[in-house]
Amino acid sequence: MRQGQAARRPRHAGRHVLLVAISLLVLFPLVLTVSTAFKTSEDVKVNPFGLFSSFSTENLVTAWTVGEFGKYVLNSILLTVPSTALVIVLSTMGGYAFARLPFPGRGIAFYLVILGLLVPFFTYMIPLYFQLRSMRLLDTLLGVNLVLASTELAFGTFFMRAFFLDLPNELDQSARIDGASELQIFLRVMLPLVLPGVGALTVFTFLQNWNNFLVPLLYLPTAQYRPLTTGLYLFLGGRSVDIGPLAAGTLITILPVMVLYVALQKHVTQGFISGAVKG
Amino acid sequence: VTPLLLMVVVFLLFPMLNALYYVFVEFDGLDPSPPWVGLSNFKELVADPDVWAALKNNLIWIAVGTISPLVLGLGLALLVWPLERGSVWYRMAFFLPYVLPPVAIGVVWSWIYEPSRGWLNRALEAVGLGSVTTGWLGNPSTALYAVLGTAIWAAMGFVFVIILAALRNVNADLVDAARLDGANAGQRLRYVILPQIMPVFLMVATLTGGGPAGATDVLGTYAYKSAFQLNRISYGTTLALVITVMAVPVAIGMNRLQRKLSLQGMGA
Repeated sequence: MRQGQAARRPRHAGRHVLLVAISLLVLFPLVLTVSTAFKTSEDVKVNPFGLFSSFSTENLVTAWTVGEFGKYVLNSILLTVPSTALVIVLSTMGGYAFARLPFPGRGIAFYLVILGLLVPFFTYMIPLYFQLRSMRLLDTLLGVNLVLASTELAFGTFFMRAFFLDLPNELDQSARIDGASELQIFLRVMLPLVLPGVGALTVFTFLQNWNNFLVPLLYLPTAQYRPLTTGLYLFLGGRSVDIGPLAAGTLITILPVMVLYVALQKHVTQGFISGAVKG
Repeated sequence: VTPLLLMVVVFLLFPMLNALYYVFVEFDGLDPSPPWVGLSNFKELVADPDVWAALKNNLIWIAVGTISPLVLGLGLALLVWPLERGSVWYRMAFFLPYVLPPVAIGVVWSWIYEPSRGWLNRALEAVGLGSVTTGWLGNPSTALYAVLGTAIWAAMGFVFVIILAALRNVNADLVDAARLDGANAGQRLRYVILPQIMPVFLMVATLTGGGPAGATDVLGTYAYKSAFQLNRISYGTTLALVITVMAVPVAIGMNRLQRKLSLQGMGA
């Protein structure tokens, strides 16, 4: 890269032009969604995929009210926030115990938890359906929150354990000499040091649970607690001709994810990368 | 730890053991004491032509779905690598598809693949390739590749971000030295850059390995259909279990390899 400024500029300009073109191509499906979502209903019938040829919010209103996407947003929150919180609490404590506290059966217990990383969800999704039915947890917020949390626990525990393993041993030893209890060591000494990990895991788990499609599809058969993902899917099956409200529903489904992503871009990317590398 | 273990046992271990029971009976979802049928579910599976068709599609999915995002992601990363500015914007744009809900992605791409008004066919017509236009998702010979295209679109950014991070650790002096010695761009990539990022490159390969959306999607879909749409609970479970048994040794091997590589890659 040690060529003169004059030589560097035009070469990089070429790269930028190419990259901007590729970015636009990559982002085109999103542009298309926004464009179709804001069309008038006549325009959708004639020219559904022409870009930005008319403007109206009627599709959004239809999707929100008739399509019940307003309710789906609320349900998505009710399914994602508790399950994510549960994963964070259990994984952080579990990861700490597996990394720092020797207890009988630790090895076996850890492999049991990690089994979830190895066995894909669909292996046991069918028996789980009947199990939930006999536990009367089918079609309940509690049941699906627990299932969503359990699908992410293996990764979360493994991920947090790696963070706790990286901390030096002298830390808890000196805290113990100072007379701190186990709980104090965990909360005051250890936890603040792994907060970046907790943050990454939170964003990662939140997005995984928000985007999860199969779990609510299988275990929430009625419309009562239907979230955005299955709501969009069933909307698609119900009236595939109405592209306008469908586009609006798609927009409503991806918008929270996009806002989160743009606001926390660095954390999201870091969460996924470190998750991949540590997992 | 106790509540953690409790959740694992109830929602993971118990249904998994139940799966082992289901494969030896003929369960229809209602009968509390289903008849014991031994290995007949397995026999039916081996003789089922649909299973073999799904397996073939699955292998195509794994091969194409692993290699394409790697090549595209590497290409993009090499393009962005020398830039001092704008890399944040490109990273944001390319990675975004990876975090979006797959259902929503499916909806939008079905519009792009739409036969008469979809943008793909219109773009092909515009460049004079009107003869290859087709209903991409409706045509059985293109459907798999159309869905693969979408999956590659979503996975490419993931590869790109990781490889770009690895490229940042590449020794730029070596690249400059090679340039001064008269190495062209291809030679610099082959002999100077790739060896340095090889551990990370292989690691991403193992991660996307099994395809962007999971190795077993095609077969898994068939298992789902058998169980919940045709009420063949036991048959669907058998299928799912057989897929898992095939996939687990590969997964363990990949994981070993990946851990070794990530230690090298991060240590370097």
